[in-house]
Amino acid sequence: MKRYFGRKLLVYILTFFIAVTIDWMIPRFMPGNPVDVLMARAGSFAGATELMHDYYTKVFGLDVPLWQQYINFWGALLHGDLGISVYVFPKPVAEVIMDAVPFDIFLLVPSILLSWFAGNWFGAFAARSKRLDNTILPLGYILTATPYMWLAMLLAWTLGIVFEVFPIAGGYSFSLTPTFSWVFISSLFKHWFLPFISLFLVGFGGWAIGMRNMIIYELEADYSHYLEALGAPRKLVRKYAFNNAVLPQLTGLALQLGVIVAGALVTEVVFSYPGIGYLILQAINTRDYFLLQGCFLFIILGVLLANFVIDIAYVLVDPRTRAGMQGESA
Amino acid sequence: MMNLKKNELLYFALRNNKLKVGLAILLFFAVLTVVGPLLTDYPPFDYIGPAAAPPSAEFWFGTTTFGQDVFTQFVHGLKASFLVGIVGGGLGTLLGILIGFIAGYRGGLVDEILNMLTNIVLVIPTLAVLLIIVAYLEVRGLFIESIFIGCTAWPWAARAIRAQTFSLRSRDFVDLARLSGMKSLKVIFTEIAPNMMSYLLLVFILQFGGAVLIAATLDFIGLGPTNAISLGLMMNNAVLWGALILGIWWWFIPPGLAITAIVGALYVTNVGLDEVFNPKLREM
Amino acid sequence: MKRLSFVLAILIGLSMLLASCQPAVTEAPVVTEPTTEAPAVTEAPVATEAPAEAPPEEFVREETLYMGGTQWGPPTGFNPWNLGNYAAGTFGLCYEPLFIYDPLADEFVPWLAESGEWTSDTVYQVKIRQGVTWSDGSPFTAADVKATFDIAKDAPVSISPVWKFLGSVEAVDDYTVNFTFTTALYQGWSYYLYSTPMISKAKWEGKPVEEVTSGLNPEPECTGPYIAESLDQTKVVWLKRDGWWATEALGLDPKPKRIVDIVNSGNNNVALGMVLQGQFDLNNNFLPGISKLVDGGYGVHTYYPEAPYHLSANTAWLLMNLTKKPMDDPAFRRAVAFAIDVSQIVNVVYGGMVLPANPTGLLPNWDKYIDQAVVDEVGFSYDPEEAKVILAAAGYKDTDGDGFVEAPDGSKIDLKINNPNGWTDWMESNKVIANSLKAVGIKAEPNFPDYPEYVSQRNDGTYDMMISNDAQIANTPWRYYLWMGRNPVADVATMQDGNYGRYENQEVFDLTDQLDQVPTDDIEGMKTIISKLQRIYLTDMPLIPLWYNGMWSQTSDAYWTNWPSSEEGAPHWTPVSWRGYWNMTAIRMLTDLEPAGE
Repeated sequence: MKRYFGRKLLVYILTFFIAVTIDWMIPRFMPGNPVDVLMARAGSFAGATELMHDYYTKVFGLDVPLWQQYINFWGALLHGDLGISVYVFPKPVAEVIMDAVPFDIFLLVPSILLSWFAGNWFGAFAARSKRLDNTILPLGYILTATPYMWLAMLLAWTLGIVFEVFPIAGGYSFSLTPTFSWVFISSLFKHWFLPFISLFLVGFGGWAIGMRNMIIYELEADYSHYLEALGAPRKLVRKYAFNNAVLPQLTGLALQLGVIVAGALVTEVVFSYPGIGYLILQAINTRDYFLLQGCFLFIILGVLLANFVIDIAYVLVDPRTRAGMQGESA
Repeated sequence: MMNLKKNELLYFALRNNKLKVGLAILLFFAVLTVVGPLLTDYPPFDYIGPAAAPPSAEFWFGTTTFGQDVFTQFVHGLKASFLVGIVGGGLGTLLGILIGFIAGYRGGLVDEILNMLTNIVLVIPTLAVLLIIVAYLEVRGLFIESIFIGCTAWPWAARAIRAQTFSLRSRDFVDLARLSGMKSLKVIFTEIAPNMMSYLLLVFILQFGGAVLIAATLDFIGLGPTNAISLGLMMNNAVLWGALILGIWWWFIPPGLAITAIVGALYVTNVGLDEVFNPKLREM
Repeated sequence: MKRLSFVLAILIGLSMLLASCQPAVTEAPVVTEPTTEAPAVTEAPVATEAPAEAPPEEFVREETLYMGGTQWGPPTGFNPWNLGNYAAGTFGLCYEPLFIYDPLADEFVPWLAESGEWTSDTVYQVKIRQGVTWSDGSPFTAADVKATFDIAKDAPVSISPVWKFLGSVEAVDDYTVNFTFTTALYQGWSYYLYSTPMISKAKWEGKPVEEVTSGLNPEPECTGPYIAESLDQTKVVWLKRDGWWATEALGLDPKPKRIVDIVNSGNNNVALGMVLQGQFDLNNNFLPGISKLVDGGYGVHTYYPEAPYHLSANTAWLLMNLTKKPMDDPAFRRAVAFAIDVSQIVNVVYGGMVLPANPTGLLPNWDKYIDQAVVDEVGFSYDPEEAKVILAAAGYKDTDGDGFVEAPDGSKIDLKINNPNGWTDWMESNKVIANSLKAVGIKAEPNFPDYPEYVSQRNDGTYDMMISNDAQIANTPWRYYLWMGRNPVADVATMQDGNYGRYENQEVFDLTDQLDQVPTDDIEGMKTIISKLQRIYLTDMPLIPLWYNGMWSQTSDAYWTNWPSSEEGAPHWTPVSWRGYWNMTAIRMLTDLEPAGE
């Protein structure tokens, strides 16, 4: 077992290394470079660009060969240095990201977890219950099939523009200075609600459907019938079914993380919510190598971590999987 | 499952409401995709009518701010969605099958390596990869977009198929085949794959729906095809040209509604089929 | 059972994660905020001399001006030398120039300077206004002016090229500065007079180069009417200060106590919605469909009450890569000019929000420099038949029957027209151009690379055709011709300031240099040279002026009135908060505002 986890950890470290390397390479293979963009933005005095171009190339460390840049990148990364942003020059990337990350956590964690819990709960209820199945199920299908941005657009249009119940843009009111006060926090929640609810609803539909199907699988499994034959109360059987069905749903959560992050990105675009999603788009548009790397690093770490947890869970829980993973040599 | 008779499947298929509703919706949109362009006289991009006119007898879905016919764009956009779904979803399924089978059947080091590959693709932000492709291809097309989506959408399918293969691998008939000296690939394709046919079909349906949604996302943030119209691109244009504020709802409601309907119908079909293939799930 | 408990453990773990995230979240944005605590790049104890009172929790709506349309990313500080990246308003509200230039009246208005004149052929003398103080109370003197220019000698900043023709700057006394030039480039120098932010010697002298070019300057010293109060990811807040020199000297007093500049969202809907809901008092984004709002009684106004709604800010051209075939053929270029249906761009794409360009490309404020006789003789207009005639005469024929012409040497023509992805108005215009060209038999497709690639294709000269609008409105048309005729062509990639078509014509280069040396008050002398330039450009057609992009400006009367407008009795100032426009009378827009309540 120990050996197995050791190997697993190695695989994950390797994955991290390769994924980060690819993320380092990707922006550098894109045509165009950050200094040109910076210059294009600055230029107004005749001849100024010529003087500044070399200087800034050096500032960003782009004057050395690629392999050297790569080594420098890892060196800096290990010291926690993510470089300086081009898009919000001259702010350090770490600071730019830390400005955005709280909004992402604030938006993503509740919407993911709440939709997962609520979806599973409702799904489990709906399974094999004619009335609920006929109401929740169609709703679930519609919600999970809705493109994130379309739901966001509909909500912005109806609640934000036609009825003006919720604000349509920003993380908090522009008339406020961030303070730890009731006015500010309520503004924070008001601006958070629409992006949250659109992410929540799409997720909710998917989990409810998934759980409902899982429960039916479990209820029809041999052990359920066996339990029922032994005279176990229906409630107990359902409880076992639920416990078994939750596990694949957990796996699904890990697999869905990438999609959810992409969904959060477009939702943030629709609502101009100041999270990482918008930063990534801007970083791409300004060839901001450093900011792009920083943002990706966060996503990679998050998704890898989630996958790792799920992997452990799977092995601990399902002995069959464990046997398979140790290979055929046995 | 091997001895399920064909007509028995058909019997349950015809009795399954989910399947019927899902297929009916899909069929409706498929027909609209084919017939739609014949119902309209306008090219999708031409300025043919008054600006931002609401739906009318002449312009069924109204017009855009430039006076383009929304219905024309809509039916052409449907075609794009189906293309992306079939090509992107198909490729995603194929890759998933290939990697899932090999990883699941071989296990060990092969599994480890393929699993790592899966993890890497899962965490790479796909937007940036698309940008590279865009950079090397001068004009972005629907087909390229579909290929890209297929190349990044396979990981979950590979995982699911790998797990299924695991459980089948230890079955007696597979052991028997292996003991009789059959080559691995042959075991996979003669013993394991046929037992998973229905499952693979379900995977494809989900991949189809996923591809349509991803394409809509890409198009919406402006990374869609440059030389064609798609439903996501319509929403992108609507937002960029202020349709929400100006109340041009007929510009952004139809494309989103169509995507929701198509993907929703796919999911419903998926569950319906599952019930048909799996006797235990049939409604009692 | 083991499995069950494990699942439970995971769920509990996840919910704990959720719980632990929640309180952190509510506090989180606080972390992002106070600029005073930003990286301690500069001297530390500035915070003490910052606004005496802490910023209020909520700004009073009636005393606050909300604006937007300049800042495309989170603001990063108040360093006026930080390329195009300083927080909106840094140069204009805080730092000020010696003169401001009024493009609508075509005149220089003394600002920090009281007067300026050429005392000899190569010496320009500026008299500094007395009684101007920095926000810390110290006086603004000639030494500060000298320091401003000297700092650009060592650090590569935007105004550094001035040292190519400037010999020395000398403070004669506290309020007199002499600029001595090695070559007197009157036109070029005139631009520096209103585009150079004056900084404080005490603060900037002796700073290391990287501090000058890349420092955040979180606590700027200001001569202007506002000081920086705070900035966060989504906005910059400016606070009115007491003792702005112009209140006493010119009787100008900006009414808003605070100015909040909101960062662009990259989403037109949001800006449009905020204008409509009265959350913006002034917005300078390109907002489609604004004519609907202006005419629809929403209380939204533009500079002109009817089309074209906006003043013109710059010329959009179709640039052609002259190093490639068939763009190297003047006849082909001329045919393209005749083929493009600009009125469709103006009326359909922009809904009448822009004006079609004069064939010379000179903006309306340079009208007097247009030689109408030359335009009548060699100018162009939309005429597809004429385009076909020109093509046929030059040997462009459809030899393979595909509906598109081939070059005289029989090679196929298949061109791409570039513009940055996401620039929606240009993308739509690009489609119109491509269709126009197809209509006369030239095969061309719109191409939307993202902005960095657009820039790199432009710099490397690998594009076919592209839409560009580099030359902004300015005091002298020389700047327009400088952009068109940047010399030498070999350096276009590194200079990055014009002539991306690689137009090589020594006569044009010489004329442009000559124009630079004509005194700015010698209008006739300028006209003579400009007329020659116009004839050459219209004959050779290295680029095609299409339309004038507007100074997009949407204003709301809900809280502030007396906005600039073309109407009788209204103030006529540039109504935009963009960088480089405060010093073109936008600051006067502020001082003329009146609270709506009164």
